[in-house]
Amino acid sequence: MTDNSGEVREPIIKIDRLIHEPSRYMLMAYLYVVEVADFLFLLRQTGMTWGNLSTHLSKLQATGYVVIEKEFLGKKPHTIVRLTDQGRNAFEEYRGNMKRVLDNLPAK
Amino acid sequence: MVEEISLKEIQRKVYMSLFEDGLWDIFLGLFILGWGLAILTEAAYLPGLSFIGIYFVMWGVKKWLTYPRIGYVRFSATSRRRITARFLILGVGVLLVGVMAAVLWGIGTRPQWLADYFPLIFNGILAAIVCFVAYWARVNRFYLYAALIFLGAVFHLWLGVRWEFGFIGAGSIIVLIGLVILIIFLRKYPKMVEEAHDSDRQ
Repeated sequence: MTDNSGEVREPIIKIDRLIHEPSRYMLMAYLYVVEVADFLFLLRQTGMTWGNLSTHLSKLQATGYVVIEKEFLGKKPHTIVRLTDQGRNAFEEYRGNMKRVLDNLPAK
Repeated sequence: MVEEISLKEIQRKVYMSLFEDGLWDIFLGLFILGWGLAILTEAAYLPGLSFIGIYFVMWGVKKWLTYPRIGYVRFSATSRRRITARFLILGVGVLLVGVMAAVLWGIGTRPQWLADYFPLIFNGILAAIVCFVAYWARVNRFYLYAALIFLGAVFHLWLGVRWEFGFIGAGSIIVLIGLVILIIFLRKYPKMVEEAHDSDRQ
């Protein structure tokens, strides 16, 4: 892009639309600050319904951003979610691109 | 900037969720009660025993009561090391306070000002440790608990209340607050029905 707004348009185009969706951004943000979290924790923290949560996590899993595993907490099985390295990198890149877009906006 | 703030806020929310059940409050309250009983019965081992015993019981209760209601989270290895280090500092601080108390109270000769103001110094150090917990855990109500602990010594020195009753009073109030928080927590977060946990149901 070589037009006058090239500096602004490049980062916008690079923004990951999968992460950009608010619910998925929130999920990625929670998973970014912890090592693992189970379904119930994410449900409680984000306020989503089970259906919404499952749908968004499935999309993130399909892209390879998260891994969903079954683990045992004591004797009880529970489903845990963790960011993959790819997901962590994608989230950091998303944050960087958003920052560049916002920083390059003209002053009011 | 907005990005940074929201991530910090999310991290804070996650940390705060650890204190939402009131169990740490009950743990602290019982520990302070233990100090009061130790002074009353001259059983110096009580605080240490209560610290260890209640700590392990509390984690068992968390698994049974808290995790089925708000879920489970595991922090990164770096965060876990930081939390462990802080708990170790806390534990060492409490141990040093206990040893100091035992040594100073055990030695025959001590300066008069130390004998006069020992409860204030002792409670002050305990209160400072609780303030440290309030600061790093970012749980403001722990500052109130620190104030209650310190007030116990103030009441003893200036109102003639027995020293151990200050601990028993402060510990009881803290346990009571913890129980109220726990009841609010149990009502706010009902246990999730097991079948709703099934992640294969899509």
